[in-house]
Amino acid sequence: MKNGSIEASPTPRARAVVQRGPDGATLSISGTLSLETAAVARREAQAAMSSSTGSALEVDASGIEVGDMSGMSVIYDLAEGRLLPGVRAAVKGLKPEFRILLSALPTPAAIESLEAPPPRRSFLGELGVGVISMAGDLRQQVTFLGATLLAAAAALRHPRTLRWPEVLVVVEKAGVNAVPIVSLISLLTGVIIAYEVAQPLSMFGAKAFTADIIGIVMVREFSPIFTAIVLAGRSGSAFAAEIGTMKVNEELDALTTMGLEPMRFLLVQRVLAGTLLMPALTAFSMLAGVFGGVVVMMGMGFALDQIWSHLSSSVHVGDVLVGTLKAIAFGAIVSGLGCLRGIQTKEGPSAVGDSATRAVVAGILMIIVVDAVFAVLTNVLQV
Amino acid sequence: MSAAPAAIEVRGVAVGYGDRVVQENLDFEVRKGEVFVILGGSGSGKSSVLKVMIGLVPPLSGQVLFDGEDLVRAEGDDRLRLLRKFGVMYQGGALFGSMTVLENVRLPLDEFSDLEPDERKLVALGKLNLVSLLPAATRMPSELSGGMKKRAAIARALALDPGILFLDEPSAGLDPITSAELDQTIRELSRGLGITFVVVTHELQSIFAIADRCIMLDARRKTIIAAGAPADLRDHSPDPYVRQFFARQAQPVGAMSGGSGA
Repeated sequence: MKNGSIEASPTPRARAVVQRGPDGATLSISGTLSLETAAVARREAQAAMSSSTGSALEVDASGIEVGDMSGMSVIYDLAEGRLLPGVRAAVKGLKPEFRILLSALPTPAAIESLEAPPPRRSFLGELGVGVISMAGDLRQQVTFLGATLLAAAAALRHPRTLRWPEVLVVVEKAGVNAVPIVSLISLLTGVIIAYEVAQPLSMFGAKAFTADIIGIVMVREFSPIFTAIVLAGRSGSAFAAEIGTMKVNEELDALTTMGLEPMRFLLVQRVLAGTLLMPALTAFSMLAGVFGGVVVMMGMGFALDQIWSHLSSSVHVGDVLVGTLKAIAFGAIVSGLGCLRGIQTKEGPSAVGDSATRAVVAGILMIIVVDAVFAVLTNVLQV
Repeated sequence: MSAAPAAIEVRGVAVGYGDRVVQENLDFEVRKGEVFVILGGSGSGKSSVLKVMIGLVPPLSGQVLFDGEDLVRAEGDDRLRLLRKFGVMYQGGALFGSMTVLENVRLPLDEFSDLEPDERKLVALGKLNLVSLLPAATRMPSELSGGMKKRAAIARALALDPGILFLDEPSAGLDPITSAELDQTIRELSRGLGITFVVVTHELQSIFAIADRCIMLDARRKTIIAAGAPADLRDHSPDPYVRQFFARQAQPVGAMSGGSGA
C-alpha cells in the first residue's frame, strides 16, 4: 500500500473527566470506547477516580461516539462496582446500541451459575475406571480375534466372496511400497550390529563369529520385529484412520444396513493382506540385514567364503522358520489391531487421530509381548 | 435514494479455478448496516464468491474493497487490519472441537486484545448472550445441536466486534423452526447493533425474512442476473425466470419441495 493513501486520522481514544458535585462525583466518558481503547480507558477511569472519596458516582456516557462490547466492559465494571470497589455507578446517556451491548454482558451471578465442568475423579476412581476399561478392551480384542478368524476361515472356504483386488491393493500399499524403508533400516541395523559385536568378540579372538551373531539375530529377532514396527507405523495407523473415517462418516452403518458385514467387506481383506505380506517383507529385511553385516565384515578383511561358512553353519532352516512364523503372527496382530482401533473410533474431530495413535501403540506393545511368548516357546521346544 | 455508504465494494471480480471461470463481471456493493444476500442455486459459485470476498481465495481479476481498501492486494499488517473488519460464520460452524464454546469465543480476544483475562471472559460471555447461548458456554462443540453450533460460530465471529459478518449458508442443515430463529437473531443483530451482514444462501424463506437487498447468481450465464430487494424482484423483475424463482416462495411447502406432490 502507498503511504499517501493512509488517512492522517488521530489514534482513537477515550477520555475520562471527573466533576465533583455536592451529591457525589460525575465521571464523563467520551470519544472511542472500543477493543483498542478499553484497557487504557479502564486505567484512566481508575486514575481519575483514585482521589475520590465519595460513595455516589454517576457515569455520563453520552459522549461515547464509537464503541463495542469490549469497550462496554469498562462501563459494566463501573456499574457493577468492580472497577472502584464499593462504588456502583449509575450510568446515563448511553446510546441505544451500546445499551444493547452492555445489557448482553451477563451479571456476576449469571457467570457464577454457569454449569461447572465435571469434577475430576479421585486417584482411586481414576484407577478403577482405567482397570475396567482395560478389561473391556481385552475382552473386545479377544472377541475381535475370534470374529476375524471366523471371517477369515469363511473367506478361505469361499475364496470368491473375498474382494481379492482390494487385498492386492493393500498388499501393494502396505507391503511393496514399504520395501525401500524396511531394506534401509535392516541394512543399517546389520551394519551397526556388526560394528558393535566385532569389538568385544575380537578380545577373545573370535571376530569371525560376528557373522553367526548377525545371522541369528537378524533372522530370528530383528527382522520380524523391525518389519512389524514399520508395518504398525505405516499401515496399522492407516487402517485405523481409514476405517475410523468411514465410521465417522457413517459409511460402516451404511454397509451394515446394506447387509454387507464391515467385518467381511473391509477388515478381512486388510488382516489377510497384512498377514500375507509380512513374511515376504521380512525376507527382504533378513537379506538386507545380513548383507549389511557381510559388507562390514568384508571391510574388516574377512573373505566371503569364510563369512558364508560361518553363516551357513549357524543359521538353520529352523531359524528362518521361526522368523517367518513370527512375521505371520506380527502381521496378523498389527493389521488386526489397526482395524479394531478403527472400528472403536469415537466421535469428534480428534477421534480418528486418537485411533491411529492407539493402533500404533497397541501394535508395537503386542509385537514385543508376542515376541516374548515366542522366546519362551522356542526355548521350551528347543527350536 | 438515501443510500448508506458502501462497506464493501466488489469491482469487476471474476471467480474461478485455473482455466475454469465460475462467475465473472461481478460488480456490486454492500452498504453499511444492511443485510445483503448472495443467492444462487447449487453450482452457481456463490460459496466461491464468498471465499473471494473474505480473502481466502484470490479472484481471477478484480478488487474487493473494504472502506475503499483492496483486500485482494493487501499484505502483512494492512491485510490483518482489513481482516479485523469482518467475522465469518462457516457452514458447519467450524468450531474448534478441542475447546469449550466459551474458549472458542475467547480465542480471538486472547490473541488480539490487551484486556485483562476476567474482562475477556466477560466479553466472550456477552457475545454468547447476544446469540442466546449463554447457558451452553461450558459445553464442548460436539454436545451442541446444529443450530447451536451456528450460533456459537456467530458469537465467535463477533468476538472482536467487527462491523461486518459473513454467513455461509446459515440455514443449511437446520429444520425450518431453528432456521427461522436464526433469521430472527440475524435481524436483531442487524437492527440493534447496525452490523452489516453478507449472507450466502439458497433458502427462499430466509431471504424474504432477512434480506434488505440481494443479488442472484446464475450458473449458466456466469454472472449476476438480478439485483435488488427480494419483493421487488418477485413483482417487477423484467426477467421471467427471476420472477418465477422468487414467486415460488408464495406456493405451499409441498409444491416447493416438488417431491411429495401427487
